[in-house]
Amino acid sequence: MNPLTQSLISGTMSGAVYALLAIGIVLAFHTSRVVNLAHGESFAIGGLVAAVLADAGMPVYVYAPAAICASILFLLTVERFLLRPRRTWPVGSLILVTLAAAFLTRGVLQLTMGVDPLSFPRMFVGAPFRIAGGVLPPQGLVLIVVGLAAAVAVTLFLLFTPLGHKLRAVAENPDTAELLGVNVDRARSLAFGIAGGLGGLSAVLLVPLVSVDYQAGLGMTLRGFIAAALGGMAPSMAILAGLALGLSEALVTNYAGALAQDPIVFLALIGVAVWQSRKIVFGGTGRA
Amino acid sequence: MKITKFFALAAFAAFSSSSVAQAADPFVVGIIAPTTGPLTTVGVRQLSAVQWWEKTTNAAGGIAGRQIQVVHCNDEGSPEKSVACVRDLIAKGSVILLNASVTGPIRAAMPLVQNGPVMVTPSPNVVPSANSYVFQTSPSDVDLTMAIAIYLKASKVDHLAMLAATDASGEVGVASAATVFPAQGIKYELARIDLRANDASIQLANTVKPEVKAVYSNYSGGGAAAVVKSYSNLGLTQPLIVSYANVSDAFINVIKNDMPKRLLGSGLKAVAPQMLDDASRRKHVEDFMASYKEMTKDNVDMLTLLGLTLADTADAVLKNVKNPSDPAAVRTYLETTPIPSVQMLHWSKDRHVGMTADDISILEYKSGKWVKADPVQ
Repeated sequence: MNPLTQSLISGTMSGAVYALLAIGIVLAFHTSRVVNLAHGESFAIGGLVAAVLADAGMPVYVYAPAAICASILFLLTVERFLLRPRRTWPVGSLILVTLAAAFLTRGVLQLTMGVDPLSFPRMFVGAPFRIAGGVLPPQGLVLIVVGLAAAVAVTLFLLFTPLGHKLRAVAENPDTAELLGVNVDRARSLAFGIAGGLGGLSAVLLVPLVSVDYQAGLGMTLRGFIAAALGGMAPSMAILAGLALGLSEALVTNYAGALAQDPIVFLALIGVAVWQSRKIVFGGTGRA
Repeated sequence: MKITKFFALAAFAAFSSSSVAQAADPFVVGIIAPTTGPLTTVGVRQLSAVQWWEKTTNAAGGIAGRQIQVVHCNDEGSPEKSVACVRDLIAKGSVILLNASVTGPIRAAMPLVQNGPVMVTPSPNVVPSANSYVFQTSPSDVDLTMAIAIYLKASKVDHLAMLAATDASGEVGVASAATVFPAQGIKYELARIDLRANDASIQLANTVKPEVKAVYSNYSGGGAAAVVKSYSNLGLTQPLIVSYANVSDAFINVIKNDMPKRLLGSGLKAVAPQMLDDASRRKHVEDFMASYKEMTKDNVDMLTLLGLTLADTADAVLKNVKNPSDPAAVRTYLETTPIPSVQMLHWSKDRHVGMTADDISILEYKSGKWVKADPVQ
């Protein structure tokens, strides 16, 4: 096996998942101005629901859509019952509300799904593809293709469709958007629903290759948020940032070892944050 | 005379009521176990076995007429919380502490019991000093590694790939490997993996070379599934040896769709009771398995058996030490008396590790159960 090729393959697989999660976080952020720290729970819920239903003997065409629906329903609930009634609260408080929702969800998942990691069979089986000394399982190929395609599709939807324009208008100025006839509540629900769908999709694609447990959510939120932040909270850049994050993690693991992974990745995040802070305007002057 | 009689009666009444109160007071047994966090599986399984002991003992009338009260503290696998747990459980009057956590948190707690109470732990990564109040119920990690080395040598395997976690348990595994494998003439390729990682394919790509005949994952907890899943993703075929704590149904359940061609594990012989030569130990384990399943609807696995070693030790102390609140008396008892548990626990004044390499077997998962492993082909 060629460790470099394998790192590139593994990094692309992780990157596709980070991109999906980052797009979901960006979407919710752009319509509500809230960094949704419960976003990763949509991954945990989707993965656990799929695993439990698959274990109960349900076929893939039942458990995969059911898992995605559960993730959508979860984020719709967060938006409708936790954020919408508190829309006048400061953004910082709303972020804490989503953090509380994440911990509450974690507790509920622990009580209802148990503490053990779960998984379910791969949807795409067969001999792995061997590429230049690296190995890519069929499920991994589907993960990369579908994950990136979904992330690109959502980005194109935001940029080029009337509904996407409405969502972006809500993000820019909700009051003005409302005056122009945009239903802000519906737009936010739509954004959270799509974000939930992406979280559920990432779980359905990834969990057969790994496993999931009740506490997987916050880790996924963190990776998705890092990718979103690296991409400047812009949908198109979030895809590239997700891929870059996945690849950099894999390459650091390969060349510097797992012990160096977190320090190097977080150092890079700090570097990017410092770089981006140059654009922050203080008293009408760009800070250099 | 009347006054003297009054005081005598009052003293008798006071003494009697105190005796009655003492007789009614339960024995407090503190247990530290992570029941949330990444090591939840490790803590929950062991705690469950100790709670089984509490329920069955109390249902049978307790010990010496006193009930058992198991007080649990969740350290979440964190050294800081582990220290707080030990302080709290000592303050609550624990006569003995059972520590079902993992290496880092257990080590953090050890200085707090340097004057007692006795703390018992099953972690093979903890080798307590013989003048401490800490006793360990498993073989040491070096013993476990030695058992693997002996098995590999007997199978003529001289090149191994090894994955170890980046936490304190992984450090112990790496140190044991460095001590044992070269001395046994086994070359090994080592890679580390983060405890929260969900992919190990890069580590496997770096270590599984053509000459490697087996892969050893020295990795506790549910996260070890990442190693097996990645192993399957890469289409590897060498036998995969998992660590002591992963010889469990929970682990099998999560990897059942990616089962390696041969899944091996280093475990206590009691996991497959038919391997126990001592009929009384075999009966003890089989009775426990039946009773535990009836009570919890769950199967006994390696972690549950480790929990039972804690419960059996506490049970022996409470039944046989005149004053279990005296740490010195408890220590002397444990150092001088073999404790019958899932296998016999032998401690001494020179060694606070209860088992040896002879108590371990290399097991293989076949047809839905763990049995003695065949040699590597």
